[in-house]
Amino acid sequence: MATGSWWAAALSESVDASRPLAVVCNGEALVLFRDASGAVCALEDRCPHRRVPLALGKVTPKGLQCGYHGWTFDGKTGACAAIPNLSADERVPPRYGARSYRVAEASGFVHVWLGDGEPDDAPLPGSFYRPHGEEHTGASIVNVAAHDYLDAMLDGPDCLVSFDGVRMTDFFLGDARTEDGWLTVDRGAVWKTRMLPPAFVTDHPLIVRTSVSLAGGAALVGLLDADEMPLVTVFVASSANRRGTTSLCWRGFRHDTRVAGAPLRWQIARATGRAPFRIREQIDGAALAALLVAPSRDLAAARAGIASIA
Amino acid sequence: MNTVLDSSVSAPTRNADEPGGAAPRKTGRRDWTPVNYDLRDTWFPVSHSRDVTQRPIRRIIHSQPYYLWRDDGKPVASEFRPDTPQPARARASAFTGGSGFYPVVERYGYVWAWYGNPDCADVSLLPHIPFLPLDGSLPGYTQRTVRFDATSALSVENLLDLTHADFLHAGTIGDGISESDVVEVEWTSETVTRTRIVTRKSVAPIMRWVGGVRAKYQDFRAVLHVHLRSNVCISYPRFRPGYDVPNLQPFLPVGRHRSRCDVTFNTTAAPVPLRYVMPRIAFVIQPQDNSVVRPQNERYFDPDERADLHSRFDTPGTRYRFQMEQLVQRQQRGDFSYGPDADPGRDISRLLGMND
Repeated sequence: MATGSWWAAALSESVDASRPLAVVCNGEALVLFRDASGAVCALEDRCPHRRVPLALGKVTPKGLQCGYHGWTFDGKTGACAAIPNLSADERVPPRYGARSYRVAEASGFVHVWLGDGEPDDAPLPGSFYRPHGEEHTGASIVNVAAHDYLDAMLDGPDCLVSFDGVRMTDFFLGDARTEDGWLTVDRGAVWKTRMLPPAFVTDHPLIVRTSVSLAGGAALVGLLDADEMPLVTVFVASSANRRGTTSLCWRGFRHDTRVAGAPLRWQIARATGRAPFRIREQIDGAALAALLVAPSRDLAAARAGIASIA
Repeated sequence: MNTVLDSSVSAPTRNADEPGGAAPRKTGRRDWTPVNYDLRDTWFPVSHSRDVTQRPIRRIIHSQPYYLWRDDGKPVASEFRPDTPQPARARASAFTGGSGFYPVVERYGYVWAWYGNPDCADVSLLPHIPFLPLDGSLPGYTQRTVRFDATSALSVENLLDLTHADFLHAGTIGDGISESDVVEVEWTSETVTRTRIVTRKSVAPIMRWVGGVRAKYQDFRAVLHVHLRSNVCISYPRFRPGYDVPNLQPFLPVGRHRSRCDVTFNTTAAPVPLRYVMPRIAFVIQPQDNSVVRPQNERYFDPDERADLHSRFDTPGTRYRFQMEQLVQRQQRGDFSYGPDADPGRDISRLLGMND
């Protein structure tokens, strides 16, 4: 039984054959690159020769070459493919190699299998994200711990994400629910252009739906209209980086849905292709600290339930 | 002295990790944790002589403070600044025998201070550096200070290391392509000496563009003599056609994270402008080395279940690691003496190839 899981570690377009990309995913230092066939490869960012980060090296036709002594590692297997200056009758010992990881691409994300066991049939986190039209993407490291980031995504997503012209409320529309390995909670939202504050709204014209994966660090944030038709979808991949920080990469897009009563600002943004959302890279610590524990209370329990089933 | 020869031109079929008789391989051996080394009873060149004046300066050896100044022209090394009140001097450590003052001597353009039991300080244990005048009378351009973002042992291993230059420093020192490349390692219980003899190597860019060597190829013989306790690295590279670039690189173990190197390049016999440029090459090389040793350092703090892999090109480094471990274990048993094969002050002119 596999105890590992898939993690979305980077945007597909961030990983190319020109230079390796260093990432920290769920606390593990990885280096990502594309080999000569264009396939994404993931190795531990540590040369087994002298422990120097392999991300300081370069991509060669034989694999990733360490920048310190030139040892070269096959991207798929991690096997050491070359040690410079060996004579023709010398061979690299078969046991020499860097730690390699299984990788898979889906929906514009590079996924890495971290943990024990073999990947099962569980879908890749990124496969829950199906973009249409123009996407808006990014990557960052935020100054908050990974588990706190996901908790905040449930308790107060406005600390982490904003939608153009939209004010999120903290009125939860029901309790958090578990569906298909995700914990989901809805909250009401209003257009910022309304004269009256949200408390005077009879029915919220908008819904912000946040779903957190029970298996990894993925979160889906959706802006929906009152009929639950999606307006904006954002997929945020998060995982623990060093010193209590969190690695993020995200993709999002605006749906074709026409929304009645949308302010002019929204219509203009739609016409000009301006990003309809923003992932906060500088998080307000005071706002985060003030968040009361609410739906995130169910996250640990839901994850524990998954673990006990496994 | 013990010797191992390794040649890239005559290697029989074998795996690249066969050590060729270098460091003995043992199953289940401990991982290398150089950041925790703290070898004692040795002289450290704590400062260039010219930097020690009447105004006190501070140096550090393994986090132990060394305040240096001159009193009536003579160097003084103390645990305390000269203006420290007498009551505070009662905290003097065993490194000074409670006196607050370290044994100190001035030679080769350096102030050397003793680290260890002061009763064991002996000037005959000072290394012999044949290419530096005893009174240090070299022009100022020969001396520079560089800082390494790694513990001293990793810095020394980097210097012993042959093949990294082909990648990190190719633009300055040149690539690793040559007709033959022979490496010899000799050692005692207190020193490791690496000799590299290369024939028909493409001329190093600095030799070509600054030194005026117009030949397509050059031969070189580079000897590096390392004193294990003090990290004093005595280097004698000879380029033909070209010049000798004798240099001293003493890595002062400031702590577990950093080391300081007050280098001297005796390039006084080299032509202008090489004689001025060569000592400053450290400012080019050092950031390149720091880019790798800096992230490397934190990965050697704690024993790792995955020991480093080696190739035969690492023979000097693996020998260095082994000899250091032997010395560390000996000192951990309370034996700080110098073995019968150790004679730090012996004449090494011949060993360096200066007489050839």
